Amino acid sequence: MIDFKNVSKTYPNGTHALYNVSLSIDKGEFVFIVGASGAGKSTFLKLIMHEESPTSGEIVINGTETTRLRRSKVPYLRRHMGIVFQDFRLIEKMNVFDNVAFAMRAVGKPYSVIKSRVPYVLELVGLKDKMKNKPSELSGGEQQRVSLARALVNNPEIIIADEPTGNVDPEMSHEIIELLTEINAKGTTIIVVTHEHELVREFGKRVVVIDHGRVKSDASKAVDDYLGEADYADIPDYPDNVEVIPD
Amino acid sequence: MRGFGYLTKEGLKNVWSNRIMSIASICVLVSCLILTGIASLFSINIGKVVDSVGKTNETSVYIKKDYSQLEAVYIGKEIERLDNVESTTFLTKEEAMEQFKDLINDDALFAEMQGRDPLPDTVVVVMKDLSLYDQTVAQIKKIEGVDDINSHTELAKTLTDISNLVNAISFGITLALTIVSIFIIANTIRVTMYSRRFEISIMKSVGATNSFVRWPFLMEGMVIGFISSILATCGVGLLYEVIMTAIQQMLPIFVTIPIMDVIWYVAAAFAVSGVVIGFFGSLISIRKYLKMEGNEILGW
Ligand SMILES: Nc1ncnc2c1ncn2[C@@H]1O[C@H](COP(=O)(O)OP(=O)(O)OP(=O)(O)O)[C@@H](O)[C@H]1O
Ligand SMILES: [Mg+2]
Repeated sequence: MIDFKNVSKTYPNGTHALYNVSLSIDKGEFVFIVGASGAGKSTFLKLIMHEESPTSGEIVINGTETTRLRRSKVPYLRRHMGIVFQDFRLIEKMNVFDNVAFAMRAVGKPYSVIKSRVPYVLELVGLKDKMKNKPSELSGGEQQRVSLARALVNNPEIIIADEPTGNVDPEMSHEIIELLTEINAKGTTIIVVTHEHELVREFGKRVVVIDHGRVKSDASKAVDDYLGEADYADIPDYPDNVEVIPD
Repeated sequence: MRGFGYLTKEGLKNVWSNRIMSIASICVLVSCLILTGIASLFSINIGKVVDSVGKTNETSVYIKKDYSQLEAVYIGKEIERLDNVESTTFLTKEEAMEQFKDLINDDALFAEMQGRDPLPDTVVVVMKDLSLYDQTVAQIKKIEGVDDINSHTELAKTLTDISNLVNAISFGITLALTIVSIFIIANTIRVTMYSRRFEISIMKSVGATNSFVRWPFLMEGMVIGFISSILATCGVGLLYEVIMTAIQQMLPIFVTIPIMDVIWYVAAAFAVSGVVIGFFGSLISIRKYLKMEGNEILGW
């Protein structure tokens, strides 16, 4: 589903963000991306979303080589993806319903579809009774769930989340990752960047460690190498633990 | 796709939420349109006058005042023998006065004129070929007893010169104001887009096409153009009346086109140019914005 072949990214100011990254993520996988600040994690996601183009190498998403993608086709590529931001990015003056509906309107869905789909997705994230609330009336965890609902509402094949738990307390963090696993269980590919190693360890999914722009390791055990710890006990071996659930 | 009504509503909403800038753009665009409108109407009017006086093809030849009426008639005959002269009509002093009275159509002014120099005997000449005008006039002037020649053709020429001058000046000003209008609208749209940058970045991240993002802002520019065109039409209507009434008082032969005959053409021309200017003004800013991605849009 997502294929990076020898991808390097150097920003116009000369910063080398990624070197020669080759990586493949299959449909239905759940992948954690970890690494130190400035390692290149967000860059990796931006390349998937086609917010940035690689300096060299090839990125294939759903069989499309993205560097050869015409500008006008980029929006259609993005419709396969749902994006969750660390800072939620909700529109303050709109209520929860409209924030989620916004993503459907933006891709031209008719209101008849919107009015049944939005409550359904809000129910999925447990916020059906907060539909009329403004984002400012919600807790951080609730706001992040609205943001997740917005990412889900167009039924994407891939969810991309850059530190979705960065602005919520540990309990909420757990809940959000839990929610993502449930979505993953329905067949959606999930890619999550996080700094919270506790969570990574706890959920025991595939872990890609990026270090100074390179893939340092790509396995569930890797997180401990990265942390310099040797607590393998609660992390089952990759890939046995990866749930690949067909459509 | 979203309907025209929805987009218009979005456009109006944008105009309202960014009203200071919108009003500034509207003011500039209105002045641009009014200036262009008045200048074109003025030159259309002159064109019409030129046409009507040009078509009459009559040249008045005044006979020296110390010549008797009989001598004057004789001079008329002599003019008629010239090659390029089709026909001549002899007007006595009294007839010439009568015609002039009709022309100026103002009794008080006429009464005042009568106290002064009376008009001379006049021979009205119609030429065969107007392109030989200058030579023929020279020939007439050589005839003993001819005092002066007053030709409508010359008036037509003067009017055309004025009209050309007005056109050239207003073309320059219009061009400058159009460019200013486009840029001020571009700036207005840039401000709206900036205030909507957060929504734009979300739209793009969920896969909205550029045209979807673009239309409400294009609509905003076009709404500004359209509102300006309505205001400019009213402005031209009023100004035209004032200017034409004043001109008519000074120059009674200047028969003007009634505003109601042309106002709908003016309105249509303004609406089209207003909307086109609004469209291109917005496009400049939108293009710049749509090239950006993600956090670039937000300026982070
Ligand atoms: N638009 C940009 N222009 C120039 N350099 C950039 C840009 N974006 C990121 N970088 C640089 O590229 C490197 C990788 O950045 P990236 O944002 O991918 O790191 P990250 O792993 O997401 O870090 P963090 O955990 O702090 O979010 C950093 O050195 C960063 O300063
Ligand atoms: Mg980052």
